[in-house]
Amino acid sequence: MTAPPDDCLARNEWICGDYLTSRRGILMDATVQHLQLTAVSVLIGLVIALPLALAARHRRWAAAPVLGVTTVLYTIPSLAMFSLLLPVYGLSATLVVAGLVLYSLTLLVRNILAGLRSVPEETRQAARGLGYGPLRLLLTVELPLALPAAMAGLRIATVSAVSLVTVGAIVGFGGLGNLIYSGMNTYFKAQVLTASVLCVVIAVAADLLLLGAQRLLTPWTRRTP
Amino acid sequence: MTSRHPGVRALPALLLLLVTACTTGPSLENQGDVTAPPGDSKHLTIGSAGFTESDLLAQMYALLLEQAGYSTRILSVTNREIYEPALESGQIDVVPEYAATFADWLKTKADGADADPVGSPDLGTTMKALRALAAPRGLTVLPPGRAVDQNAFAVAAAYAAKHRLETLSDLGRSGLPVRLAAGDECVKRPYCEPGLKKVYGIDITAVDPRGVGTTQAKQAVQNGQDQMVLTTTTDATLDDFGLVLLADDRHLQNADYLVPVVNRARAGSGGVRDALGKLNTVLTTADLARMNEQVDSWRRLPEDVARTYLENKGLVPKG
Repeated sequence: MTAPPDDCLARNEWICGDYLTSRRGILMDATVQHLQLTAVSVLIGLVIALPLALAARHRRWAAAPVLGVTTVLYTIPSLAMFSLLLPVYGLSATLVVAGLVLYSLTLLVRNILAGLRSVPEETRQAARGLGYGPLRLLLTVELPLALPAAMAGLRIATVSAVSLVTVGAIVGFGGLGNLIYSGMNTYFKAQVLTASVLCVVIAVAADLLLLGAQRLLTPWTRRTP
Repeated sequence: MTSRHPGVRALPALLLLLVTACTTGPSLENQGDVTAPPGDSKHLTIGSAGFTESDLLAQMYALLLEQAGYSTRILSVTNREIYEPALESGQIDVVPEYAATFADWLKTKADGADADPVGSPDLGTTMKALRALAAPRGLTVLPPGRAVDQNAFAVAAAYAAKHRLETLSDLGRSGLPVRLAAGDECVKRPYCEPGLKKVYGIDITAVDPRGVGTTQAKQAVQNGQDQMVLTTTTDATLDDFGLVLLADDRHLQNADYLVPVVNRARAGSGGVRDALGKLNTVLTTADLARMNEQVDSWRRLPEDVARTYLENKGLVPKG
């Protein structure tokens, strides 16, 4: 049997330059897949959460079931969630996205609703007094004032989606999770560390990006009196 | 508050519809696959069960199929519970399997957890049982090759030399007390503790639950805590721990030959059979062990290891 090559891969070092060069394409593909799954899930989650939160705000009877159902969804363990959705979606990226959308709903609905509820009744009445209709009131008064709380929810939902994507590895669509999973099986230190670090970098970058967006969207919150 | 908008009541249902409407059915890129003529789709998805040997075989299958004019992609999933239904439905077309293990798994799936195992140490019997179980599910089991990944038992080389052990029968005759490092299911499985006692008359004093072929299990035998370890025939790291395999001379182990299992409607053609059949006369258990070592111990890419092997064997052109 031939002797093993003497490099940091064979020595199984935590930090390994050869790992980065030999797996550059794989790391790139995994990162792109990770970003896509996260972004698509959070965006679809947002599109669904907004009407749910509005319904819960304006129809008092809707609040309890909406919050109850989305909270129960959040308590389903991720492995079970993907297994339950498997017969519906098969082995596909859609399966992972659907699971992540359901998870994001709790955080998004609760925070958007909290934002909407924080709009003072006096403000709404003042707007109505100025002749604002319900739609104009919503778009120009309520939603902007709800933004800080809603954005906080969006940031948490995004960061948790970045980490939950990795569970998609059980069906082969886990972005960097695929690498972490296969690395764990063979005690491949460089692979586990590199993929984990990239996950953290994505999460922090996404959070900062959203924080910047929030500041741009809500200039009044920074204005000093 | 009264409900002025009855539609709101239907909101949850509508949302569910929205989520599913956008996402069910074949995506555009897969539609060609679904409508392709049955039996010989030109675009094949190869499933890997996510561990090294499965990855290597999936890569070799992909290279051989590409050589035969198919386009392929590899999908790595974690376990049989997930990939087997996908194989039946045609989301996955080809999977590397182990004849006896897969036969037992299908039997359990058909008849429940208490079903009697159908895998046997005889390859012919196992293949017959496997094909009978696979056919009703739309699966075709292609012919097995030479490589076999069976359970195997290893002892320390010094221990074997001292007591002159080459086979499990030798160990049984020696009457030595043996503490066995294995998975905790070993106490029940016929190929493990019960079989070692009954077929070989080995005095198993205890089963040390350290997993099948794990580093800890091998270390336990290396440092004398345990005398024997359960591993597999494609384990190439035994030398590193100073261990040697004892031959299964009375054929206790099932015939876990490597077989490609395909979805008949999509990959049941002669083209696929011929392409994958090229591996049968070439790939040996020792080859597989060496490739496992290159991936597990040297951390080379399964894709590169598989390609190099096939190139050296002249099955794909060097490029």
